[in-house]
Amino acid sequence: MLNGNICSTEISLNRRSLFIWTFVVVIVILVYLSSFIFMEEIEVVEMIEGYPDMLTTGLGMSPEMFGDVNLYHGGLVLLYGLLLASIYAMMLAGSLVTRDVDIGTVEFLYTRPLSRQIILFSKALSFLVMITLLWITIYLVSVALGALWVAPESFDIYNQFLAHLMGYLACLAAGGLAFGFSPLLNRVQSSTSLAIGLGFAFFFLNTIASMYEQLEFLKYLSIHYYADLSGAASGEPYITGMIVLPVVFFVGVGLGSFLLNRKDFTA
Amino acid sequence: MNAVETVQLGKYYGKKLGITGVNMAVRDGEIFGFIGPNGAGKTTTIRLLLGLIKPSSGEAKIFGRPVPISGGRLYRRVGYVPSEVNYYPEMTGRDLLEYAAGFYTAIDSLWVEEMVDRLQFDPDKKIRTYSHGNRKKLGIIQALLHKPRLLILDEPGSGLDPLIRLELFKILEEMNQKGATVFFSTHILEEVERICQRVAIIKDGSLIHCGPVDELPGKDIRFVILKLAGSEPSTAALDELGEAEELSSRPGYYRVVSHLPVNELVNKLSRLNLEYLRISDPSLEDLFFDFYKTSAEEGGNHNA
Repeated sequence: MLNGNICSTEISLNRRSLFIWTFVVVIVILVYLSSFIFMEEIEVVEMIEGYPDMLTTGLGMSPEMFGDVNLYHGGLVLLYGLLLASIYAMMLAGSLVTRDVDIGTVEFLYTRPLSRQIILFSKALSFLVMITLLWITIYLVSVALGALWVAPESFDIYNQFLAHLMGYLACLAAGGLAFGFSPLLNRVQSSTSLAIGLGFAFFFLNTIASMYEQLEFLKYLSIHYYADLSGAASGEPYITGMIVLPVVFFVGVGLGSFLLNRKDFTA
Repeated sequence: MNAVETVQLGKYYGKKLGITGVNMAVRDGEIFGFIGPNGAGKTTTIRLLLGLIKPSSGEAKIFGRPVPISGGRLYRRVGYVPSEVNYYPEMTGRDLLEYAAGFYTAIDSLWVEEMVDRLQFDPDKKIRTYSHGNRKKLGIIQALLHKPRLLILDEPGSGLDPLIRLELFKILEEMNQKGATVFFSTHILEEVERICQRVAIIKDGSLIHCGPVDELPGKDIRFVILKLAGSEPSTAALDELGEAEELSSRPGYYRVVSHLPVNELVNKLSRLNLEYLRISDPSLEDLFFDFYKTSAEEGGNHNA
């Protein structure tokens, strides 16, 4: 069902973008998490309490977050980390599918003695490996910073593991969606644009759903809702999300396989 | 058994015709040429044979089995050289060959090195730095590396210098002698004339001829260049030979396209007072254009 040759080659072809995005997300975490040290000094909690509720809720902030490193990191820092990582996940999955059509290697790869299904599943495996590496790195950096420097006494490694796990699953779901729609596209540029658009759309859908009661239903369309990073960071991961997110990944890959099998690779 | 077979194969891109009603059989172990001008439907036919696109009608078979939608075990015995060779620009040529080799079992590395040497290819450069010709060489080597039983080549000679092209044809002939079937498309008729046993001609998406190269319609044509002796020669006698026209570049010289049998032609020429004479067989290119012209006038469709 899988081809290791394709999987390892795709990882090799995409390793540079993996390094770049890992570096970017790590820098974001480094800057935001290390700034927690200064929170008490500049009385951020008092400042946030002065903001309108709608704004703080919409931006995923609460005064408690700035007094609790676990909530701060899991609920706020990782929220922005997930925004970036999910965009990367969709860009990666999209380019894994559209790149061959775009640069013309489709005639090389899709004339090998493999079904299109095996080719797609092998690419999905390479995606899984790369996203796993990304999140392991994010988790290790978070633990190293949080538990060794920022808040050695209160940084909860287990709860942070849950929050990172939910972020990881959300990225898988985002990638699954990209695997699902990418066979309809023929250009990497198109899949990248869609990835960026969807990444922000998920973020803002969740934000708007938190701000306006009438639009609360929109949260069901966002991977951020199912990830529930704050809940996971408090030790209460959203179990439904833990089921829905991997299901979205597998359904997306299945849909991608279905569409790819019906696609004409015209010149 | 036929290595390649198509039955009423057709493909439409929306409302635009790709090919229609193509019936063709390539026997196992032959070198088969597939000729036609750009846009005639050669690449569409090849893509259908490779399962890259789905037929709108009819069926294509490889070694007696229906072509699946891409890949499948059937393609372990197939090698393919595309007309436009595009690979991963960040890889080296060697990386790509290793990647390609990874899809097959028991690759003969000595054979691969032999191909690299014979085609004078440097595999240690990045693909993005290769010229069109070098990419074509890489395309050929990756298609040959698993010693396929069926080679499908789309315009294999394009982009190659004449010496490398000759070497490629030698390789194809050697592989054919060892039992491989070679199916290649081209619009360079000399390539077909050089190595093919049979040929199919495609025009506007329809097959208009399929048969041995020697039996191509129009093979009876002779081109005669002559100059009649005398200061003001009469050209009336030339009309008996065939269509005659004076060469614009050489006043007094005539080019006659004759369909007469050889003996009759020589007999009639012997009665003329000639100052210059040259008779030549038509090249395949001449035949091709003659055939195209005739076919266009008749609106014919000759699947075979």
